[in-house]
This record gives sequence, structure tokens and C-alpha cells, in this order.
Amino acid sequence: MKRSELITVFQRMASEIAEKDFSHVSEESVIADLGIDSLGMLELVGSMERELKIQIPDEQLVGIQSVRQLLDLVEKRTTQTT
Amino acid sequence: MSSDQFREKLNKQFRIFFDKAEQERRWNPYRDVPWDKINPETPEYVAVCAETFLGVESFLPDYISKGLAVLRNSSSAQRSFSANWGYEELKHSIALMEYLTRSGKRSDEQMHDYQQALMKQSWTRPFDTARQMTIYGSFQEMATFVIYLRHEALAKKHGDEALAAVYRFNARDEIAHAHFYEDVVKVYLEIDRPGTLVDIAHVAKNFQMPGVNIVPDYDQRIVLMREEGNMDRDIFLQKVYFPVLKYLGVTRQELVQVAIDARAARKATQTGANAAE
Repeated sequence: MKRSELITVFQRMASEIAEKDFSHVSEESVIADLGIDSLGMLELVGSMERELKIQIPDEQLVGIQSVRQLLDLVEKRTTQTT
Repeated sequence: MSSDQFREKLNKQFRIFFDKAEQERRWNPYRDVPWDKINPETPEYVAVCAETFLGVESFLPDYISKGLAVLRNSSSAQRSFSANWGYEELKHSIALMEYLTRSGKRSDEQMHDYQQALMKQSWTRPFDTARQMTIYGSFQEMATFVIYLRHEALAKKHGDEALAAVYRFNARDEIAHAHFYEDVVKVYLEIDRPGTLVDIAHVAKNFQMPGVNIVPDYDQRIVLMREEGNMDRDIFLQKVYFPVLKYLGVTRQELVQVAIDARAARKATQTGANAAE
């Protein structure tokens, strides 16, 4: 999956969870600044895992601050899966 | 599982918990802390942290009365646990207060004024059912355990063996409490897994530590404590949230499903309401 597609998935999932428009969100955005707290982020990650049929180990979710870091992680897992 | 089986399981858990507490965990804050090993040079910010913990522990009357209000009709094991919990938590505030006054960091008068200021506020119970409060206890006691351990390390760094011992004794109680709560949540999961998962998701989403909004200057205190070994979101996930879920045998994916279902239900309700208008 292309990086641009991944950010689209992120924007869609984040919008569903937070019930806000996240179409403006870029990779530079800090997740907490979007109003998504740590547990919201877990929900977001879980939704992306389901959508993309991947699984990210819990310990790898610690330290994720930015959208870029999260997408790096997701991209790595999708590459490993395909 | 019948209600008799529920009560029986919880009684068994409480017997194990209480027996272990009597055998291995009883301590006396006046006698068992090495008070002669207070380091008079321990910096003020360390004392502020201890004072903040004391502030949070000082709302014990609220925790007991408001907690018991939802637990008293649930089971005798939970009532007994609450009584014992109150006794053990009381020692935490006694030990912290002893430290602050014996070290000379605070006078008796300052402690009196602090207590007076604290008691102008009261703690509001964050959840309304025995099950939700038990889940809350699992996260909150585990978080407190982790914070106390970090402050034990901080006290040791400053060569204050007395304060380190206070935190160590407190932490040992907190982890025992956390495990009891977790064991009870496991029983709740056996009885009603879907309902308990909904409650876990709800409590996790709305979780906050008990001192928020009731300890004077809490925000400034927390900034200081965070710099000096308190909880940030990563530590919370790593040391509290994931370990508790793992012990309960609950996966993140299950909680995501609960969240998705809740959103769908909310949307359906909203659509229905809009259609009715």
C-alpha cells in the first residue's frame, strides 16, 4: 500500500473515531495535538489493524507521538504481511 | 455462573488476599521505616512530591464512603476488602506525613493548614457501579504502584533511605490491591464478558487519577512530578494499561470492537432521533 493511501486510511479512521474532520492532517501532525489521547490512539491503531489486516505488537505502540511515526510502523507491518 | 458462585469465588479471592497480607505485608509506619536515615539535604521538590501524594491519600474518607456505597451490596468479599484497603491506605498517608514532619520539610502547623485546605474539596466517585469501580481500581492501583516505585528510585538517588522505604512499603500495598481488583475483574469477565468489556473500555476512556481537581495546585504539582518520575502516557500504556489487560486476558482488538459497536449504536440512536423530528 502506498504511503498516500495509508494517510488516507489514517484520516478516515481518525475522523470516525473522533467524529471530526481530519482531512487536513499531515504526517507532521502530533497525534495528541489532534485531540486524540493515548487510548484514542489505541482505538485508532486497532481500527487500522482491522482494516489493513495487520497486527502491531503492544510494545511497539509505546513512544508513538506523530502521525509519521505511526504510519512508519503501519507501513512496516503491511510490508511484512504482503 | 450463579450469584452464589460469584460470591464464593470472590470470598476465595479475599481469603487468599487477606491471608497473604497478614502473613507477609503488615507494617508499622512509626516503627518499620528507618527514620534515622532521612537525608536532611533531600531537595525541596522531592518533599513537594511527597506532599502531593499525601494530598491524594488524604481523601481516604471519601474513597471509603463513596466507594463502599456502590460495593456494599455487591459481595461480602468486596465489603471486607474495602475495610482492609482503607486500613492499609491510611498507613500510606501516616508514613508520608511522618516523613514530611520528621525531616523538617514541613511543620505540624503547615501540615494542619494543608489538611484544612484539602478538606475543602471532596472526591467524586468517577463511576457508578461495583464492576466499573473495580475496573477503575485495577488501573488506578497499578498506576499508583508504578509511580511510587519511580519515586522510591528518586528518593534513593538523593540518598534518602527513609523516604525510599515509605514509597517501597506503599508500593507493595498498592500492587497487592491492584491484583485483588484484577482477580475480581476476571470473575466479572467469567460471568459477563461482553458487559465487562464495555465497562473496561468505558473506564479506560474516562480514566483519571484521583487527585485531579481536588489537591490544591494539582496541575503545577503534576508538572513537577512528571519531570521527576511520575506517569506520562507512554509509561501508563507500558506499565499499567497493557499489563492489566494482559493479566485480565483482554485484547486491544476486543476493546476496539466494543468502541466500534458503541459508535454504531450512537449513530443509530442519532439517526432514529433525527428521523423522529
